[in-house]
Amino acid sequence: MSSVDLISQPTEAFALEMLRISKSFGPTQVLRDVDFHLRPGEVHALMGENGAGKSTLMKIASGLIQDFDGQILVGGKPVYLTSPRDATRAGIAMIHQELSLVPELEVDENIFLGQEKLQSLFFVDRKSQVQAAEEVLKTLDFHGPLQLPVSRLRVGEQQLVEIAKALVSKARILIMDEATSALSINETERLFQVIRRLAAEGVAIVYISHRMEEVTELAHTVTVLRDGRRIGTVPAKEANRKDLIRMMVGREIQEMLAEDKDAAAVAKPMLEVRNLSLEHPSPTPSRPMLVQDVNFAVGAGEVFGLGGLLGAGRTEILQVLYGLHPGTSDGQIVIEGEPVQVLSPLQAKAHGLALVTEDRKRDGLVLGAGIDRNIGLPVMRTLTHFGIVLPGREKALAQSMMQKLNIHARDIEQTTGSLSGGNQQKVVVAKCLVTKPKVFLLDEPTRGIDVGAKAEIYRLIRDLAEQGLAIVLVSSELPELMLLSDRILVLREGRPTALLDQSEFSQETILEYASPGGAIQPEFLYLEATR
Amino acid sequence: MNRAAASVGRFLLHTKLFWGLAVLYGAGIVLSPVNRKGANIFLDPGNQADVLRQVANNGIIAVGMTLVILTGGIDLSVGSMMSLGCMLCAMLLTLPGWTAASTASIPILALVAILLCSYLVPLVASNVRRGSAKPVEHASLKMRLAGLVAGLLVGALLVWWTTSQLQSKFGVLGVLITVPAVGLALGAFTGSVIAKGNLQPFIVTLAMMVAIVGMARLLGGETAAVYPVYTGSNATEDFESLRALVLQVIPVPGIFFLVVVLIFGFVLKYSAFGRYIYAIGGNEQAARLAGIQVDQIKVAVYSISGMLACLSGVLYTSQYRQGKPDAGAGGELDAIAAVVIGGTNLMGGKGTMTGTFVGVLIFGFLTNILLLKNINSNIQFVLKGAIILAAVLLQEGQVGLWWKRLRARTKKVSTGESRRDEVLQDLRKN
Repeated sequence: MSSVDLISQPTEAFALEMLRISKSFGPTQVLRDVDFHLRPGEVHALMGENGAGKSTLMKIASGLIQDFDGQILVGGKPVYLTSPRDATRAGIAMIHQELSLVPELEVDENIFLGQEKLQSLFFVDRKSQVQAAEEVLKTLDFHGPLQLPVSRLRVGEQQLVEIAKALVSKARILIMDEATSALSINETERLFQVIRRLAAEGVAIVYISHRMEEVTELAHTVTVLRDGRRIGTVPAKEANRKDLIRMMVGREIQEMLAEDKDAAAVAKPMLEVRNLSLEHPSPTPSRPMLVQDVNFAVGAGEVFGLGGLLGAGRTEILQVLYGLHPGTSDGQIVIEGEPVQVLSPLQAKAHGLALVTEDRKRDGLVLGAGIDRNIGLPVMRTLTHFGIVLPGREKALAQSMMQKLNIHARDIEQTTGSLSGGNQQKVVVAKCLVTKPKVFLLDEPTRGIDVGAKAEIYRLIRDLAEQGLAIVLVSSELPELMLLSDRILVLREGRPTALLDQSEFSQETILEYASPGGAIQPEFLYLEATR
Repeated sequence: MNRAAASVGRFLLHTKLFWGLAVLYGAGIVLSPVNRKGANIFLDPGNQADVLRQVANNGIIAVGMTLVILTGGIDLSVGSMMSLGCMLCAMLLTLPGWTAASTASIPILALVAILLCSYLVPLVASNVRRGSAKPVEHASLKMRLAGLVAGLLVGALLVWWTTSQLQSKFGVLGVLITVPAVGLALGAFTGSVIAKGNLQPFIVTLAMMVAIVGMARLLGGETAAVYPVYTGSNATEDFESLRALVLQVIPVPGIFFLVVVLIFGFVLKYSAFGRYIYAIGGNEQAARLAGIQVDQIKVAVYSISGMLACLSGVLYTSQYRQGKPDAGAGGELDAIAAVVIGGTNLMGGKGTMTGTFVGVLIFGFLTNILLLKNINSNIQFVLKGAIILAAVLLQEGQVGLWWKRLRARTKKVSTGESRRDEVLQDLRKN
């Protein structure tokens, strides 16, 4: 494996150079002395585990983070980016994992946001904006109507609008963060063609991705980060899968720790879901409901996976089960053979359900409060006497959970906002476990946490299943989903398309069933007929 | 050595609020005029007690405001609520029989008694045994029924007691129970609209602020007159007790203020209710997902705020011997300012009752010092504004960040080229 020769290059040969970049958030250092070099016309893949620092590095390059150590050169000249606007002026555009379009504005308004074409001093010239937008979008193979809010577009189309926005600003450096995580196979293919053409025109592209196949197919160069350090930069042609994984993880691992999972006894279902549905807040003919006709049963001790692309309705299913959509959802929930009514989180908790949400910072933790306060919150009533908190009991509970889940912290009063992602996630899990749940709903339980913590969470999930909990798991990382689940229900646009047994698991199969226009298992075909 | 300095620094940072108060107090002593006998007027017990009396009204409102702001909300209606309380109190004290004030407040008092008992009795009853606590929703039917019966009983008793006073006008206990109950009811209404309608507290309480000041004026009748309250002539003699000095120094309103601070400070710090308030302000969604009944807590918080505002109205009546429909005008802003100076974050989730107490005192002493120096009272407003700005900037740590950014900007641009050379040299070596 030859390293890329940087030394003989003159400074001007690089579109973007990032030198000795270091950054820490509070006590955790996320980047240490990272160097990154990008040539014009190059597709440069940036790889690494969650929490390796990829997104942070690129946020620095796009001016979103200004408070760092190190130096950035664009076209050989040092730049100091104090805002995303500065980055745009320097020709750098970033397309985020969570798209940053204004949902209620129309396509052309989004494309020209902040760089509007003006008729006179004040008035936006919509006509020429639409024209220009059409032109750019045509080069991207986008032929939909422009006079509608972007919220009405499919995720793949929104992605193209984002790219158009970057192109209009004359970006010479395009950063794409997990661009394909919400796309179907066809859309991905189309996006790749666009990227290749842009590269041929001399645009430098940074492509952040988890998917090994994409990287080897698309990129010229691969840089791998691990724990905030640059582990290496290699030509994509010379990189093989195994090497890349080793660089990312830091040790040789069997790609799938094919654990010996006993075929779960579905004979005695812990949780049964019948005809679950959820209304769409703004229904379209192609998507009348967010969730529709979902049926499944999860046995005690089983890990039941929900697969699908972003927006397939997986998260919503968990939310309905946890009572977050009273009024707009329908269907029957049966726990241990008893039909139950779940119209609020309080009822869900009382019936033995617990939910780990996908965004622990937004929904899971009170970040300004200590670990003990967070863990005690759901069971506060058992920690009080006449409404007065018994601090000893609260501390003891938090202490025992910290030991059980191996949470690393200065002390139990450390604010959860200052913990690392992995430890935060463990606090969220602890919060759920103290309610002694029977059914555990997990939404992206390992998002944004480091490899070590990930392994611990995996073990924990398996342990909990062995203790007889029924677990419903949502994960966008297919290897993770396949590793942990006993069975997987694949969803497409809110409807189930396949129920897979372990023997049928493969990334290709799941993606096929998950992609719009893909296959459907015969037993789910009747759903199509009712459409 | 360095570590010691750092910990001293941290200590100073944590207690900066008290240092602010201490500096102001010191300034008060130094700037104070001296009386004929050579004694410092600022330090005179009478003067100190006077400060306590003057801050009591705003302080009591600020306590309720602290709870509201900690949940991430805001209550703009408290000033109007205080005016309403003031008017109600004056009218109940001076007018016998069924006036607008008594016809409105006695049914509300009964309603509050019924609702409060049917909520609190099952809550307390199901929490009697240690560790077996349940939310009210899970209380048995028997307990709920007991709550309702108790509520009806207490309500009937209160109605009988208050109507029996109507002929001879209300006594001091009568107004101290009835007026805050009206505030509680109005606050509960505000809170319900906010929680159930999922609306922004700012706009809901703004609407209430406008509406309630209208109610206060309507109460006064066509002329929106000021109702003088002369204890001993047109009102009961006992009402004078709210102006009294305990132990000949401490004014009764000050005692009300201190007791309210202590009660709600304790509740905030040690009760489950307090924990929930912090949790909701820190992350409402997380609190909801943890099964906390966010709506109930919000209603409770706005109820308390309304109740305290009306209590403050009663105290105003006693101090100024009059009921005035604009008694509390602007009171909401003073209370918010005191809470914010006390270090409570307007976004919610962070802050203490101690902070609010100190914030209230800072305002009180500032006014007092300027008064003693006989400085134009309009300068007070300018100074108050400046103090609010300075306090908030310091608390948010924004000043430090400005400094850091300035340094970064000057540092980075100058060392650009050499850094690349350094890196390349390193690469060559490897």
